[in-house]
Amino acid sequence: MSAQLWALAVAGAVVLAAAGLEIFRAWRGRRLVLASSSGAARRVPVNGEDPYVLYFTGDSCTVCKTHQEPALARLGNVRIDKVDAVVERELADRFHVYTLPTTVVIAPDGQALHVNYGYASAPKLERQLAEARRAGLPTAATA
Amino acid sequence: MSTPSTVVDHSALKVNQTGIIVTVLVAFLGSVVFRPLLVLIPLLAIVLLLGTFAPQLALFKQLYFKVLKPRGIVKPRPVQDRPEPHNFAQGLGGVFLAVASVFLIPVPVIGLALALLVAVLAFVNLAFGYCLGCQIFFQLEKRGLVRA
Repeated sequence: MSAQLWALAVAGAVVLAAAGLEIFRAWRGRRLVLASSSGAARRVPVNGEDPYVLYFTGDSCTVCKTHQEPALARLGNVRIDKVDAVVERELADRFHVYTLPTTVVIAPDGQALHVNYGYASAPKLERQLAEARRAGLPTAATA
Repeated sequence: MSTPSTVVDHSALKVNQTGIIVTVLVAFLGSVVFRPLLVLIPLLAIVLLLGTFAPQLALFKQLYFKVLKPRGIVKPRPVQDRPEPHNFAQGLGGVFLAVASVFLIPVPVIGLALALLVAVLAFVNLAFGYCLGCQIFFQLEKRGLVRA
């Protein structure tokens, strides 16, 4: 019995360590992208008025097809720029895409406002888009 | 992005993942009272590795295609998808279980822990659709180490 208990403890520790590593990678990636958003990310095409979603996917991504794409479809009339992370490697590296799907909410001025590593639900993306719309309002209008 | 022209029945994948979880749990819990049940782990490694290279020998998938699907016990769920990442993930599971089998006699804690990790990953895939093997496949593909 003790071997089973120790094995359970070892497996549990590995799972916790992996979860911690995943959280750290996502936090680091998000920090790097958002910190450089005034530089590199501004080079992504801008839309002019509305925020949009940069959606990194790939042929090997099953969650993209079963979960992420239906969630994106629920957003309605929002521009979604689908990017193959394997083909567009440079762009994927710029956003530190280490997992698929990855979604980036881009403000009207081209600034990356939110980066989601892994599946992002429709309500979450809607919240982020609403925030991006508020961020895109001209300051003169409120002055 | 190219749309995969192949269709993968995701119900077959789910049955496969369920088979992995159940077998590892039976081996793990059963070995507390009946140690020879640990033989299920090397057997599962063989089943997964054989199924990776010869799909007609994939035991759980064949159970789905020959028994569960024709009798309507499990409904098919075809998704436009590529089979390669899933096969890669299955092979990876098989390799981990093969390594676990090597450790089962001299260091049972490591052998059992590795087998449990495979079961945990299969459960994460079954419950949340997150396939670690597919993510590793993506990273290898991105670095040009495997061909699309």
